[in-house]
Amino acid sequence: MNVRTFALLVAMMGLVFLSGGSASDVRAASPPALSILLPVNNAVLGNASPVPVVFTVSNFNLTEPGTGPSSPNAGHVAVFVDGGLTMQVAVDAFRLALASGPHMILLQLVMDNGTALSPDVSQSVSVNVTQGPATGQPGISIAFPMEGAILGTDLYLSYRVSNFVLVPPGRLNVTNEGHIHVIVDGSFYAEVADYQPVHLGLPDGAHNVTLQLVDSLHRPLNPAVSASAHFTVHALVGRVIPVDYTTYFGITNLALAFAIVALMYRKLEA
Amino acid sequence: MVRALAPAGNTVTPHRPAAAIALLLLLGVVGLSVANPSVAAAGPTLVISSPADGTVVGNGTPVVVDFVVSGFVLVQPGRVGQVVGPTEGHVDVYVDGGYAWMATRVELIVLPLSSGPHTIRLQLVDDVGNALSPDVSPAVRVVATHGPAGGVPTIRIVSPVPAQVTGHDVYVSVEISNFTFVDAHGQPNAPNEGHFELFLAGVLRQDLSRYDTGFMVDLPDGNNTITARLVNNDHTPLNPDVFATVTIFVKGASVSVLYQTLSGGVAVLLAAILVVLIFRRRKAITRITKARTEKP
Repeated sequence: MNVRTFALLVAMMGLVFLSGGSASDVRAASPPALSILLPVNNAVLGNASPVPVVFTVSNFNLTEPGTGPSSPNAGHVAVFVDGGLTMQVAVDAFRLALASGPHMILLQLVMDNGTALSPDVSQSVSVNVTQGPATGQPGISIAFPMEGAILGTDLYLSYRVSNFVLVPPGRLNVTNEGHIHVIVDGSFYAEVADYQPVHLGLPDGAHNVTLQLVDSLHRPLNPAVSASAHFTVHALVGRVIPVDYTTYFGITNLALAFAIVALMYRKLEA
Repeated sequence: MVRALAPAGNTVTPHRPAAAIALLLLLGVVGLSVANPSVAAAGPTLVISSPADGTVVGNGTPVVVDFVVSGFVLVQPGRVGQVVGPTEGHVDVYVDGGYAWMATRVELIVLPLSSGPHTIRLQLVDDVGNALSPDVSPAVRVVATHGPAGGVPTIRIVSPVPAQVTGHDVYVSVEISNFTFVDAHGQPNAPNEGHFELFLAGVLRQDLSRYDTGFMVDLPDGNNTITARLVNNDHTPLNPDVFATVTIFVKGASVSVLYQTLSGGVAVLLAAILVVLIFRRRKAITRITKARTEKP
């Protein structure tokens, strides 16, 4: 091996060394990243339970705020809900108590002093929180009165709801939340937003009652969900009336009236 | 280091049998360690210390999971310069098969669960989220309920009392124990939670999920049997059935029959008029007769 070959070999080794070093520098300089594992985007979160948020970072050390020097590779996560800073976390999992409705959750890596990284590292997900179940087809049925029943004037309508939570109207329109429209004989009768029986006072005759699930904006669900019952009201149903003297009284009245007239006529003759 | 402590000038020859024995012992230990499965399987472990399998978590409280990890270090994934190793990572938590939580340190995991049975599974994973080999993932089954975790539900009708004479409308007041009322909206059944139903003569009248009194209207005259029954969220009776019954006597106030009342009233009036007329006529006849006899 002559000197030239040796020099060439040394130069190549140097290049290899340098390239390796620069490669490792590139690896070390990989920018921080953030990935939200839970909830998934556009998830519907039911039962009004707090929303679990789980995320992972890479090339970033999570540290409690105020515990270290500001560095682009260390800090914590700022949590924004619907655009507002809600909390700061230094753990990979936390919970958010959110009201019913759609929400935007944004997580942002920040340095210890709270400033965002450059470039910004953040990710967001949209969620829909409901007091109702996250899944399932809403349903309603009438427990009382039964179809074809004969009832008195006063009655309480009892019903059963499934996969749907009753809330007062006027709120945001949310999946599997809403209230009930009570329709009697084709006309709107009442709104019901709880699970209590509904009082009906109806005149004698045949009636039809329909219960319809509607959203918070009073619109029928899609597809429509309703239940109907037909029944007859008879005011005195169940009342014990021993004898009805109306007819006898009528005949008696006629006889008495005739007797009075006859008596007066004879008096005049006299 | 050991060799340095050996007396100077000693030869190794006298120690040959001892060295051979030590070598044999060493080989034996190595052989045993390979042959013994318990030693071979020693690795990361994860034990759920609480809740116990089958636990009923009552009163609507979240389920608190406590766990113990050994042979494994829980760390934050994604740290700067982190090297993935087989003995460090974190714990992934699954509820009913769905990803629910991540624990990067040994801490109590609080899981708010809806009523009903659930399976909670914890899994050790490495820093990039891969399960260990062999998998380390214990699981427990729990049942969440808004009711009490234990006790036998009861129900009693406080009002009306047996044989009470009432009108056609009656309030029904119940007293329960070891049971919590919840609105039934299709959620799964859970122990000691649900609502109650009122029956009249065996026919369902009302589903009630509040502690307010029930109000039954238009009860028919006579004896009426009211039954209050505790039911599950899906409206099925508890097992065993829990109910209370009371029989009352309904005697309505006077039944207002307008026509009958009017007819009766008119009849009385006409009769009175007739009596007066007859009486006056008789008096008149008497007076005329008397006048005729006195005027011959």
